[in-house]
Amino acid sequence: MERIARRSWLPEPGIRGHQAAAGWLFLSPVIIILGLFLIVPIVMAAWVSVSDWTGNGSPFGSNVHFVGLDNYRQLLTTPSLDQSNFGTALRNNFYYVLLVVPIQTAVSLFLAVLVTRALKFVGFFRTAFYFPSVTSSVAITVLFLFLFNPQGAINKLLSYVGVTGPSWFYDPRGLFHVILGQLGVHQPPASLANGMFLGVTYWDWLAGPSIAMCVFIIMAIFTTSGTFMLIFLAALQGVDDSVYEAAALDGATEWTKFRYVTVPMIRPAIFTVVTLGLIGTWQVFDQIYVGTKGTPANTTLTPAFLSFNASFNNNEWGVGAAIAFILFGIIVLFTIVTRLTTRNPERVPRRRRFGPTQPLGTPDASRVASAGGLE
Amino acid sequence: MTYAFLLVLTVVFLFPFVIAIATSFKTDPNATANPLGLRPSPTTTAAYHTLFHSQDFPTWIKNSLIVTLCVTFVRVFLDSLAGYALARLRFRGRGAAFATVIAVMAVPGVVLLIPKFLIIRQLGIYDTYSGMIIPLFVDAAGVFIMKNFFESIPVSVEESARIDGASLFRIFWSIVLPMARPALVTLFILAFQGSWNELPQFIVSAQSTSLFTLTKGVAQLASGELGAGNRFPLKLAASVLMTIPVAVLFFIFQRRIMNASAGAVKE
Amino acid sequence: MKFHWKTGNRWRLALPVIVICACAVAAGTAFGAPAKSHANELTMLVGSSGPAETNAVNVAAAAWSKKTGIKVNVIIASDEGQQLAQGFASGNPPDVFNLGNDQVATYVAAGDLAPLDNLKNVKAFYPSLRAAYTVKGHLYAAPKDFSTLGLVINTASWKAAGLTAKSYPKTWPQLASVAKKLTRNGQVGLCTNPEFHRLGVFMIENGGWLVSKNGKTATVNSAANVQAFNFVKTMLGAGSMKLTNQLGVGWGGEGFGKQMCAMTIEGNWIAGAMKNDYPSVGYRVVQLPHGPKSLGTLQYDGGWSLAAASKDKADAMSLITFLTSPGVELGNAKAFGVMPSVISAKKKWLKLYPQWASFLSGADYSKSIPPVDKITTVLGDFNTQLQALPTTNPKTILDRVNSELQAILG
Repeated sequence: MERIARRSWLPEPGIRGHQAAAGWLFLSPVIIILGLFLIVPIVMAAWVSVSDWTGNGSPFGSNVHFVGLDNYRQLLTTPSLDQSNFGTALRNNFYYVLLVVPIQTAVSLFLAVLVTRALKFVGFFRTAFYFPSVTSSVAITVLFLFLFNPQGAINKLLSYVGVTGPSWFYDPRGLFHVILGQLGVHQPPASLANGMFLGVTYWDWLAGPSIAMCVFIIMAIFTTSGTFMLIFLAALQGVDDSVYEAAALDGATEWTKFRYVTVPMIRPAIFTVVTLGLIGTWQVFDQIYVGTKGTPANTTLTPAFLSFNASFNNNEWGVGAAIAFILFGIIVLFTIVTRLTTRNPERVPRRRRFGPTQPLGTPDASRVASAGGLE
Repeated sequence: MTYAFLLVLTVVFLFPFVIAIATSFKTDPNATANPLGLRPSPTTTAAYHTLFHSQDFPTWIKNSLIVTLCVTFVRVFLDSLAGYALARLRFRGRGAAFATVIAVMAVPGVVLLIPKFLIIRQLGIYDTYSGMIIPLFVDAAGVFIMKNFFESIPVSVEESARIDGASLFRIFWSIVLPMARPALVTLFILAFQGSWNELPQFIVSAQSTSLFTLTKGVAQLASGELGAGNRFPLKLAASVLMTIPVAVLFFIFQRRIMNASAGAVKE
Repeated sequence: MKFHWKTGNRWRLALPVIVICACAVAAGTAFGAPAKSHANELTMLVGSSGPAETNAVNVAAAAWSKKTGIKVNVIIASDEGQQLAQGFASGNPPDVFNLGNDQVATYVAAGDLAPLDNLKNVKAFYPSLRAAYTVKGHLYAAPKDFSTLGLVINTASWKAAGLTAKSYPKTWPQLASVAKKLTRNGQVGLCTNPEFHRLGVFMIENGGWLVSKNGKTATVNSAANVQAFNFVKTMLGAGSMKLTNQLGVGWGGEGFGKQMCAMTIEGNWIAGAMKNDYPSVGYRVVQLPHGPKSLGTLQYDGGWSLAAASKDKADAMSLITFLTSPGVELGNAKAFGVMPSVISAKKKWLKLYPQWASFLSGADYSKSIPPVDKITTVLGDFNTQLQALPTTNPKTILDRVNSELQAILG
């Protein structure tokens, strides 16, 4: 409490009690609704993940039994089809996250900076870039199925420049395997072919995203850049011109201004975008559900879709819930790592950070995190 | 230079939708045979005709509007209230509350469908507007965005108001909110778009045909089997119709993202 | 001026929050009469294939209501799996609903379904359809319609290759030979999906199957099956057959419609796709060739099931009987082209659709996926492995799937 009190912008110590009352009051609607419609369901799902519920009757009924960690074991330690599907789904989603998150962050920041610099038709450009984001995921998936049909629009465009396009949604080859194939490597060394992790060989772990998954990666970047551009636009508004003017006086180039002035200023927005991006990409479901249902050859299978499929189509509710909680653990882990890497590298003395000398609108990353309980 | 980039990117971002609109006026065989063509031949409005005449399209639009408007206004208010509390007010449990908000976002939604349904039923709001609307009143991502935004605006103005003896809610309402307009507009657009395109929540909370929203109706429409053929014109027409209201709304409101925040307009 | 907390301020602060909560509660009570279940009302959940089917189901349900005075609440599913799961979890499922035969064992295992052994018209169905829905000796759905696979032939290509009505393949060697003749001008002779759900026909034609007669042992890697897939591989090797993933299309119907192949193995649903997307391509359907052992095709079924938790099973069963009566099924056939599940509708249906005769005759020798819990997961992996059939030894694939299938047979 001492530490927090010092950070408070209120000088009078007596006011803290009132702030607590007000704080909880401001939060109460959020707490009630999230509690009722998210936290209670999460608790129920957590129970299901350690039970043998088959979907018939209430999960708290008398015919439902506690089975300990059996469902988790089934996925993590028992060699089975469930396990190799789960391993495959994790691999697919990992490559999806690895490519989508950095690219969408960079593209959306780039769009925001471009739009901020434009003088005319700003509204038009903003709307154009945001347009893909307003389309529902069902509609956009249908559109992409149409565009990336092997005989569809994209391959027709490619043929004009003499490229024979791949068969996109039907091509299960991993990107890295394709590249290795071009370099003449077709067969894995024995050490990679024989070792297994989660029912998938090391060689297959290194396959990279399949060509089919690449379409989903393009789609994710296409549809989310506009949304994240909005967050960056709002953040860029908070950067005071005087800071740029000062930098300009020092003779900074465009790039150095961007790197040393803009980026540190919008650090919280970057944290927001990366965190939301990680959460969204690890949970990718709608597109798979509407688009490919995991085909071809399970290379677009994701843990979220696998969880849905195990629950709703196979009545393996316990396994489905267990998949979701393992996924939850992965997301939390990644969020913490993000938090550690977006931490402000220049260690400013603690007092100065919150003092009045702080430049206008420079939030400090460590403050975001300490409030998030992640520090 | 800037404009060259902007133009190229605009083409990339809009081209798919131009194709979608063109295709929605094509016949099924034409759409399959000539996917890149921008001029339908022959031009037909059959897809739109099917949408409007053989379906309850007006009901779907009405329901989508009711739900979206209710959700958007309440959500913007509640999310920013909570975001403000988490960003500015100091109280015990704040860190835990924020960590919970983040954690809640990290649980994959698909696993919560059945539990959510059971709770909505238990509360006696299944198959009603309230069942469809109330669970959407708050979203964790919105709280997260607002909290991070409030942290990036200066505290000095609030401090002077505080010294003048204004109440916390009044500071929030008449000083902080106006300063936060870019973020509010962002949140407003995100909330509108999110509830307009929401699907699983409506499947979980209602089943009557009279409570169908656009997403539910179109999803049912588009879920044909192989025997129905590709039906690209129909599906793309539905997506065009669903997208336009949100795009128009965005075009109207996006100006406000810029014209705010302590004279920060750079034009 | 010192800041101090006034009651007025606190109230001003609390007010919006209270208003919101009050609104929520008021809305809850105002709109919130929960869905009620009348005594004299049945609920029916339908996963419809489109407006034609939706309309036909509504008409049939209304006719039954008029006859019996019992209201039927027809719900067209947006997502049938999810809505069924909600029903079972809440203990208040729809009384009657659609079920595919690959799903039936899963729902039986969870105790969701009531047996229909005492259905009035239980003898009216084709025996192979009844078998598809029989789990541990009890019938769990009344078949409503079905499809089988046939050989679909592009008539123009057929003629251009110098083939006549006499050359329709009756045996595997004949199939290989016509496929070879049809492979010309950039068109491949035969294409089909890399799936058990298509290639499985060769297993049946060679006397093989997924499980032993008593259904207790997996026989996926039997010599008959290995031989069947080796035959497919020789055609793939000869270049007269391609899998759809090699052609870059989603399914056989698409490759066939786009004239990338002259023949494909598909079911009667191809008619809709041909009519809508490829109306200029002429085609006809013949029976799949007799393999070394027998005729053989795969069968896909739709059926009406009854929830174990239904409160009015007697009326629900009478509704199901009505929905599977020859009159209603022929109405469906006219409306959206399905094949009726009752033998007595056969003649009239053949008058409606003489060109599909070979699909219907498949009922006599077809097999459907064994009703085993979790079998869809195993077949899913089978399909995944079959993607690589052109470059893999079939025995490797079959061995893998065999052990997976044995694992769920217990």
